[in-house]
Amino acid sequence: MANTTISEPDMANTTISESDMANTTIKAAPTAFRAQRRAGGRRVRRGPLSRIGDVILAITVILISAPFAYTVVTSLRPASDVINDPLGWPTSLTVDNIANAYSKMNYTQGLLSSTIVLAGTMILTIVVGSLAAYPLARISRSWTTWVYRIFIAGSTVPIFVLIAPLYLFLRDLGLLNSYAGVILTYTAINLPVAIFFYTSFFRQIPIELEEAAAIDGSGPVRTFFVVLFPLLRPVTATLATFLTLSVWNDLIVPLVFVQDPSLKTVMVNAYSLVGSYTLDPSLLFPAALLGVAPLLIVFAFLQRYIVSGLTMGAVKS
Amino acid sequence: MIHRKPLIAVAFMAPAVAMYLAIIVYPLAQGLVLSGTDSKIGNPGAFVGVSNYVALASDSDVMRALGITVAYAVVVVIVQNAVGLSLARALYIRPRVRQLGSTLILVPTLMSAVMAAFVWNSLLAPDGAINSLLESLGLSSLAHVWLGDPSTALWAIALVNIWMFSGYSAAIFLAGYMNMSSELLDASSVDGAAGWRRFVSIEWPLLAPATTVAVTLSLIGSLKVFELPFVMTNGGPAGSTTTLTMLIFAKIFGGQGSFAYGATIAVLLLVVVVLFAGVTQSLLRRREERI
Repeated sequence: MANTTISEPDMANTTISESDMANTTIKAAPTAFRAQRRAGGRRVRRGPLSRIGDVILAITVILISAPFAYTVVTSLRPASDVINDPLGWPTSLTVDNIANAYSKMNYTQGLLSSTIVLAGTMILTIVVGSLAAYPLARISRSWTTWVYRIFIAGSTVPIFVLIAPLYLFLRDLGLLNSYAGVILTYTAINLPVAIFFYTSFFRQIPIELEEAAAIDGSGPVRTFFVVLFPLLRPVTATLATFLTLSVWNDLIVPLVFVQDPSLKTVMVNAYSLVGSYTLDPSLLFPAALLGVAPLLIVFAFLQRYIVSGLTMGAVKS
Repeated sequence: MIHRKPLIAVAFMAPAVAMYLAIIVYPLAQGLVLSGTDSKIGNPGAFVGVSNYVALASDSDVMRALGITVAYAVVVVIVQNAVGLSLARALYIRPRVRQLGSTLILVPTLMSAVMAAFVWNSLLAPDGAINSLLESLGLSSLAHVWLGDPSTALWAIALVNIWMFSGYSAAIFLAGYMNMSSELLDASSVDGAAGWRRFVSIEWPLLAPATTVAVTLSLIGSLKVFELPFVMTNGGPAGSTTTLTMLIFAKIFGGQGSFAYGATIAVLLLVVVVLFAGVTQSLLRRREERI
C-alpha cells in the first residue's frame, strides 16, 4: 500500500528558528490569507465578464448555503404550515418542532455519549499520537521510516474493510457495547492522521531546545511533556478540529459496535428517526439542526482551525 | 535527546504501535483469513479456500455494486473538484467576499452525512421543495420522483455528495492559491496574461499539489460512501444505489450474518481503493514533479 491520502514530508531534520515556526504549513493558510487579502484584488482588472463572474459566484454560494438556511426556517415554522406550503415564507414561528425532535431523538443522552466518545478519542489520539511522532521525527533510521510508512498507509484503509473481523475481535474482548470499544476504534483509525500532523510539526521544532533541557538535567519524558508538548498547541488544535468533525459526524462505528440504547451517540439516535418518520421535515429538520449545532458552536470559536485542519497537506512547505 | 536513547524511543511509540496492530493490522489480516472460510454469525466456519472469491466473481450483485461504486466515484470526483476549483478561483480574485464566501460554502461540510440526508430526502421527495420549485417555475414536466426512480436515485445521491464537499474541495484549492507567490502572479499580469490564459499557464500548474490532495481525498471518500445511500435510499430502488460498502454492511448485518462473504467483498473494496487511489496519486505526483 502506497501512502495515498497524505504526502510524506522529507525525512531530513530541518532546523528552523522559532520565529520561522509561525510560517509552517499548519499556520500557512491563515497567515497567507491575511497577508494577501488586500493584495489579491488589485491584480485582476474588472471588466464586464467579471460582473458575470460575480453573479455566478453569488448564485453558487447561495445554492450551497440555501439548504441549510431552508432547514433553519422550516424547523421554526408550525408543522401544518410546512405541509400546506413547503417553500412558503414563515408567517409564524415556533420552537415546538425543536422540542419534539429533542425528545424523540433522546438528545440529552446522545449528547452525553457523543461527548464522552469524542473526549476519550481526542485525549487518547493526541497523547498516543504525539508520543509516537516524537521519536519518528527525531530518529532518521530505516526502521523508523518503515514504522512511519506503515502508519501513514493506514489512512487509506476504509473502516468497511475492517468491520467484520473487528466486530468479531471486539466481541471476543468483551468490548462491544462499550465506550472503550468505540474510543479505541476511533483512536486507531485516526492515528495515521495524528502521526502525520505531529511528525511534520516536530521536524520544525529546533533540536537545540531538547539539548538545552538535557543540559539542565531533564530526561526525555520530562522534556516531552514540559518543553515540547506545549509547543505543539497549534497542531493539536488543528487535529482536535479534524477529530471533532470526523468522530461527531460518524454513524457506522457506533451503529455497528453499540446496541445498548444508553450508549448511543447523537448520530445513531438521529438515524433511528428514519423509518416511521422518514420524510417529515418538521421532525427531521430540527433533528438535523440539533445534530450539527454543537459543531457550529464550537467552530464559531475555532474558525481559523477549520480551514487549516481541512486543508492540511494541500500545500507543500 | 530521544535519538540517543533507542529504548525510550521504543517506549514512546509502544502505545500507538500496540493500538494500531490490534485495531487495524490484526483485523486486516484476520479479514483475509475470514474471506477464506464459510464463517457466519455464531459459527467460526471452516476453511474453504478461494471459493468465496470464485463466488464473488460470478455474483451479479457484487459486480453491479462495483460498477455503481466506480461510476459514482468518477462523477463525484470530476464534478466536485470542478465546482470546487471554480469557487476557489472566484473567491481568490474577490478578496472582499473571500472570507464570507469560504465560510458559507464550508457549512455543508460540517454537517454529517446523516443530517444532509435528512434535509435532501425532504427536498427531493415527490411533494418536496425541489418539485414544488419546478412547478412554481412552470417546469412541472421536469418534476420527478428523484429517489424512487432507479435511473435518477444514484445521481441524486451524487448531487448531495457534491453539495456537501464542493466547499471542502474549494478550501483545498484556495489554500493552494494562497500559497502561490504573488511576485510570479504579478509578473504574469505585467506580461499581459489574464483570465483563462493566466489560469491555464500559471495558476493550474501551480495548483498541482492542491489538486493531488483534493482529487485523492474526494476519490477515497466517494469510493467508500456509505451514510448517504444508507440513509437516503437504503440501497434501493431495485438495488440501484447499492454500493460496495452498502453490500458489505447488508451481507454482515442484514440478517444473514455472512461474515466470511462480507469480508471477501471488503477485500475487493480495499483492492479498488488502493488501486484507484494509488494510480491516481502516483500520476498526480509525477505531474507535480514535471511542473
